[in-house]
Amino acid sequence: MSDVFFGGFTLERRYDARPGRVFAAYTDRGIKQRWMGCDTVQSPVIEQLDFRVGGREVSRGPGTDGVDHRFNGTYLDIVDGRRFVFAFVMHLGEVKLSASIASVELLPDGDGTRLIFNEHGVYFGEDGWAEREEGTAQGMNQLAAWLAQKEAA
Amino acid sequence: MTDRSTAHATFTVVRDYKARPGRVWTAFADFEQKRRWFGGPDAAHTMDFRVGGEEICHGVHEGAGYLTRVEYLDIVPERRIVHAYTMDMTAPGEVSARRISASLQTLEFEATDGGCRLTLTEQGVFLDGLDTVAQREHGTRWLLDQIAPLVEG
Repeated sequence: MSDVFFGGFTLERRYDARPGRVFAAYTDRGIKQRWMGCDTVQSPVIEQLDFRVGGREVSRGPGTDGVDHRFNGTYLDIVDGRRFVFAFVMHLGEVKLSASIASVELLPDGDGTRLIFNEHGVYFGEDGWAEREEGTAQGMNQLAAWLAQKEAA
Repeated sequence: MTDRSTAHATFTVVRDYKARPGRVWTAFADFEQKRRWFGGPDAAHTMDFRVGGEEICHGVHEGAGYLTRVEYLDIVPERRIVHAYTMDMTAPGEVSARRISASLQTLEFEATDGGCRLTLTEQGVFLDGLDTVAQREHGTRWLLDQIAPLVEG
């Protein structure tokens, strides 16, 4: 009878950039705006990014599905340069899609960085966990491309 | 930095009450009811029960101070509550608090022949080894037990 779908995933990537650069890519609004997105929402606009415990991150963008995707998150824990934990809600248009708790952890790996992304949460009405994992992986690919481009420049 | 760790874990607690779902719901939604089972008689506690509202509770247990901070993310009257919460602990004899966890919690209220089944699902990020999933689950079960005398009277 329940119309909630619990799920989650873990993604790991290695980046050829030091942890400080990768951390800044996630936490500096100007930098993040340049790489974030996924195949469905290619150019989301960051409306707010207040990187501190209790601070908000809000972004939105039109999807290839014709719907406005909105992210509304709060930072819950920050260890500078090392990790951050955040809770967030996604809306598609007026419909609340999901609520999640997620973490990004960065570890030095030679000259580069090992990034571990974890998300767990609940989808309302339909199970979107496979899509969420795929979209998140696409975002991490976009970050890799941006870091590589800046490195080469 | 080697002492920094995160443990991601999900647990579910199911508790049956001999009371209608609406009665059990009130124990969560009504502040005067909630403070009777959550926080203890000497706790400092405020609650704003609406989507986007915050609940803050500070109490002392066995000499340690605990600060729970909740943000309500989804409310379906008499059916479902979803919230994100953090817990900070000040160990006995210390003055500063440390964040020990950040979690998403989903509470589902279901009518049964005997009354109400409450299903609590917690998806948590447990920080730096400062709490264990087993302890958190145990504490959560204990808390849900405290509701029974209040609603089954």
